[in-house]
Amino acid sequence: MGYDPIYADAMIFASLLALLSIGLTLTYMTTRVPNFAHASFATLGVYLALVATHLWNTTPYVAVPVAFLASGAAAVGLYVLILKPLIRRGSPQAILMIATLAFDLVLIASINILADFIVRTYHVTSREFTLRSYDAELAGFPMIVLVAPLAIVAIALALHVVLRRTKFGIAMRAATENPDLAGAVGINVKVVYGVSWMLGGGLAGVAGALMSLWFQGDPNLGPLMIPSVFAASIAGGFLSIYGAIAGGLIVGFAEVLGTRFLAGEIGSWLLAYRPLIPLVVIVATLMLAPRGLAGIRWSRAGAALRRLAVPGKGRGR
Amino acid sequence: MAIFAVYVVVNLSLNMEFGYTGIPNFGKVLAVGGGAFVAAAVPGRIFAGMAGIEGDYIRDNIAVVSGVNAWLVDNTGIGFAVFFMTLGLAAAAGAGLGLITSYPVIRLRGDYLAITLLAFGESIRVVGNNFSPLVGGTLGVQVPDPLSFLPGEVRFPVATIGLVAIAACVYVYSERTMRSPLGRMLRAVRDDEVAAGALGKDTIRIRTRVIMVSAALAAIGGALYAFYAGGVIAFAYDRASWTFWPFLMILIGGLANNKGVLVGTLIFVTLRKVIIFHKDSLAPAVPFDVAWLDFLLLGVILLVVLLYRPQGIMVEKPTPTIPHGRGPLRSGARRAFDLLFR
Repeated sequence: MGYDPIYADAMIFASLLALLSIGLTLTYMTTRVPNFAHASFATLGVYLALVATHLWNTTPYVAVPVAFLASGAAAVGLYVLILKPLIRRGSPQAILMIATLAFDLVLIASINILADFIVRTYHVTSREFTLRSYDAELAGFPMIVLVAPLAIVAIALALHVVLRRTKFGIAMRAATENPDLAGAVGINVKVVYGVSWMLGGGLAGVAGALMSLWFQGDPNLGPLMIPSVFAASIAGGFLSIYGAIAGGLIVGFAEVLGTRFLAGEIGSWLLAYRPLIPLVVIVATLMLAPRGLAGIRWSRAGAALRRLAVPGKGRGR
Repeated sequence: MAIFAVYVVVNLSLNMEFGYTGIPNFGKVLAVGGGAFVAAAVPGRIFAGMAGIEGDYIRDNIAVVSGVNAWLVDNTGIGFAVFFMTLGLAAAAGAGLGLITSYPVIRLRGDYLAITLLAFGESIRVVGNNFSPLVGGTLGVQVPDPLSFLPGEVRFPVATIGLVAIAACVYVYSERTMRSPLGRMLRAVRDDEVAAGALGKDTIRIRTRVIMVSAALAAIGGALYAFYAGGVIAFAYDRASWTFWPFLMILIGGLANNKGVLVGTLIFVTLRKVIIFHKDSLAPAVPFDVAWLDFLLLGVILLVVLLYRPQGIMVEKPTPTIPHGRGPLRSGARRAFDLLFR
């Protein structure tokens, strides 16, 4: 192999982070609840890939559609059974966030139970496992290296078409921008929200199923990943699909390549502090551009930069 | 019971923050961990310096700490002095952490604040695990025991009584603060920030101060836990134990109600004891680790509480404000109290 595996690491991690962040943004756009259980939907996908490989004896890719359905169903369950009644009662946002944390706990416990069950019943490693060796090879690369970025492109295009060209997409955008008005013109806002939760959870499941092909799977991936996913979504502005993709790529590359580069410059002890990168991204975004990448008015930002470059020319504050 | 006392301190601080002021601090673990790390890093080194014990504090930790504990048997007074100094230092560190972490985001809406504080909360474990001079990295360190002069069998009861006493002080402090005009102001900020601002209250400053005070209290809780447990290891300061369980307890007990906090904490601690007690009898019956059943059960309990009893067991009551200044209430005990806590 003629390339440094760190680039494959970065490519795949960034793509999957973008995928997770699209899903999180979709659900946040509708209900305005940051879903702390989001990354655990991906863990569910990881375990379905394990089941597909070892129990059904197929390739892990079979798990992708299954994971989409299963994680989507879990997300819809969270929305319909827990969040919707709470919202109807007018609960404050903090209570909704705690509800997603509680759901996350239930999900993590269930996944752990599943993992224990797999070990004891089928004698298959279900913690800190990887399915890398079950991946097919394509043009000299492991297939996942190509599939992960392609999946992002495909999903971005599909979402673009759905949101801009179909009747459902228009209904969805209307329902996120002004639910009352959308309801008044005959859009069933609840169904629309339900579908976007399905999509959001489903995409997280897909990301999880793909993740198992390169990274280590573990029941506790969710809590480990969630700061990165939030950092990506916040960097992207939290309300824009395209922002989410950009944010995911930036945070993904910063975490893998950024720490690698800094470790090369400063010392390898730095590598262990990689989990702090999302924190830096969140704080930097909130202080510099709180609406994220999607919220920056690029033309005005350019003008501001020019004003900075030529002091005295701009208008004073 | 000792765990109960520690959790009461942490939960009261969270209740002040979330129940009364409405700040969703999902990074409570940061302050708790910060306090525990202070307790792990500072007093041991001070004692070792005073007792003239040689050796690297982290590398030869067990030898140094047992030397220190032997020395403390004869130097009880210094032991207690350093113990209370450590609590003060932990509180200061907690307040500092609270200030730093809330500074970038204090002006933002609830969800961004919550996410950022959660991310900061995760960072404490990363730093603790990797920066070994602090708490020995993944191996952890031992914490010297200021009660070493007591024989082994009375040490834990005495420590528990001490913890309960400190928790009681924090309870009285919190209850009194929340009944004062200050507490009324906090509730005003929670219920309508704009209105409070229009009435001339600097809501940002109030929120920052609440975060600092609450982080200081939580750090004291963390330091107490470290002293009680006799050791600190970074990975014990995870999100579930020190952020999620406290939220669960105050929500079960009832938000913005300190009695509710006591009830919620009691229920939680008892429930966990019962679960741990029956763990072994259940273990052969199920094909997985019973610990996860514990998680599952507590998660479901919280969801049920949120859905069917969002106000918790004890409902927030209108709190009468204690008259301020010199009144008939100002007895000798009150004056001593004011001297200590105001």
